[in-house]
Amino acid sequence: MSRWRRRDDVPLTGADCFLRSFDDEVRRFNGAGHLSQLVLRLGPGFDVDAFRALITAVARTTPILHAPIRRRFAVGAPAYRLAHAARTPLPEVTVHEMAPSAATREQGDAGLPAIFRERLNARLAIERGELVRFDVVRYDGGAHGTDLAMTWAHLLFDGAGSELFIRCLDECFHGRRPIADLGRDDGAEATRLGGTFLERVRRAREWQERIIGFGAAPPHSLGGPRRHVAQVLTYDVVTLSRTETASVTQRAAALAGHLTPVLFYFAAAIRAHDAVFSARGEDPGHYLVPLPVNLRPKGADDAVFRTNISLLWFHVARQHVGDFAGLLSELRRQRRAGIRDGMIEKGVAAMDLVRAAPARLHVWLARNNLRGELASFYFAFTNDFLPGMDAFLGAEIVNGFHAPSVMPSPGSSLIMSIRAGRLNVTHIYQRGAVADDERLRLRAQLLDDLRGRTSGAERLRSSG
Amino acid sequence: MTTKDWTQTALVECVVDSVRELLSLGADFSPQSDLVAAGLDSLAVTQLMLAIEDRTGIWVDESRLTPENLRSAETLAACVYEQMAAA
Repeated sequence: MSRWRRRDDVPLTGADCFLRSFDDEVRRFNGAGHLSQLVLRLGPGFDVDAFRALITAVARTTPILHAPIRRRFAVGAPAYRLAHAARTPLPEVTVHEMAPSAATREQGDAGLPAIFRERLNARLAIERGELVRFDVVRYDGGAHGTDLAMTWAHLLFDGAGSELFIRCLDECFHGRRPIADLGRDDGAEATRLGGTFLERVRRAREWQERIIGFGAAPPHSLGGPRRHVAQVLTYDVVTLSRTETASVTQRAAALAGHLTPVLFYFAAAIRAHDAVFSARGEDPGHYLVPLPVNLRPKGADDAVFRTNISLLWFHVARQHVGDFAGLLSELRRQRRAGIRDGMIEKGVAAMDLVRAAPARLHVWLARNNLRGELASFYFAFTNDFLPGMDAFLGAEIVNGFHAPSVMPSPGSSLIMSIRAGRLNVTHIYQRGAVADDERLRLRAQLLDDLRGRTSGAERLRSSG
Repeated sequence: MTTKDWTQTALVECVVDSVRELLSLGADFSPQSDLVAAGLDSLAVTQLMLAIEDRTGIWVDESRLTPENLRSAETLAACVYEQMAAA
């Protein structure tokens, strides 16, 4: 019997509760939900019937996939109510048949089905156990390949967890892992709080004081302050060639370090957003961006479900942004200081401490401390996407990437990962937050910095 | 601190101790063990360099850490020693 079966509830992690708060706000203000999406672009040979049967079998033995998220009592932290999962529908698998895509599917988002973006702008009734759904788009009955999108309430998995889940599904399909095994993941949290309650309160206070400090120079995003507008997100994916990616990763390692290339991509993301502010003739003053930190030990293959991350905040004055090397140096300094000061652990303590608070309180507190806007933009670099996995259920993985939703404020998010030696850059943005020419400018600056060139962005800058 | 205060052998011991403590490893982690295979990742490498800085007073920026430097505790200690000599 799985450990879950012995318990009725699996509590949300502290980070889950923050994300649930985002979901609550997006529902109230923007008519959507806080979701995330993992996209697999597959070659021919994907057996959709086998996939549907697999999802059904896994969901029946893994109740967290469709357990309502509610509080047990009026007080206390919300939880996955596993005992109630028996009465909720299993995750939906919808198949869409399409003519062969004219575009080359190996190139970024060429021909990416519109339904994927529509799903990202929908909402999932998490309180009724609607937590994940799958859309399978078959081209010419699958003979010309299949696109698969897994869209989930962005707390059922984090990015790393969603990849672990896909890997587990494939292992179950090939009989390398018992299907019931997934249900044994009790969410043994990678997050270790440590210390006494009072120590955790002290840590949480220090984290909050740091956040309040950022409020002295609050962030301004491309999307502007929170508004009552419909969430209409779309996303572009740019995929670099293997040769280009090799050059970029070498540059990243040389400038930021072999194991810490994230800051290189992060610096490029900041400068890409700054190019848009420059073109607008606006001065955001400072950039404030939370960098997600995966708390799973390296190589951990458990903690599939729930969000096992903390946040390391970066607060960069615009004066550091003009020079790439100078910006990178500042980011390195802040990362080192943040880790030395225990800000990752303090973030975990702070998010854990307010788990039982009403959903809207988390975002309210953050907005209040930051004087309105939550961040300048969102960013993540998740490194290798499904490393070592060439096929999913027998079909070659042609490409794959993440597309998490971003709230209309800040309205822009850059997510990067490397699939089989090719860098994918996914820019997710809210309609109206970034105009078409601004989107191109942002992309040009980003690619120039990644490649170590100045031509494209400078050209746009001089023409802007 | 300078190279007068540290020998390469002592630095290797310092790195091994720091890695064992950081990654909760036992005696099977040796000076020749592969650091990345032992669990060193982007967060742990910075924590390790901070631990080494605490013990030696020398900070080696992550950007200086190549795959060759990170091959083992021995190679990493050599990198720290080099930085110490240059300080």
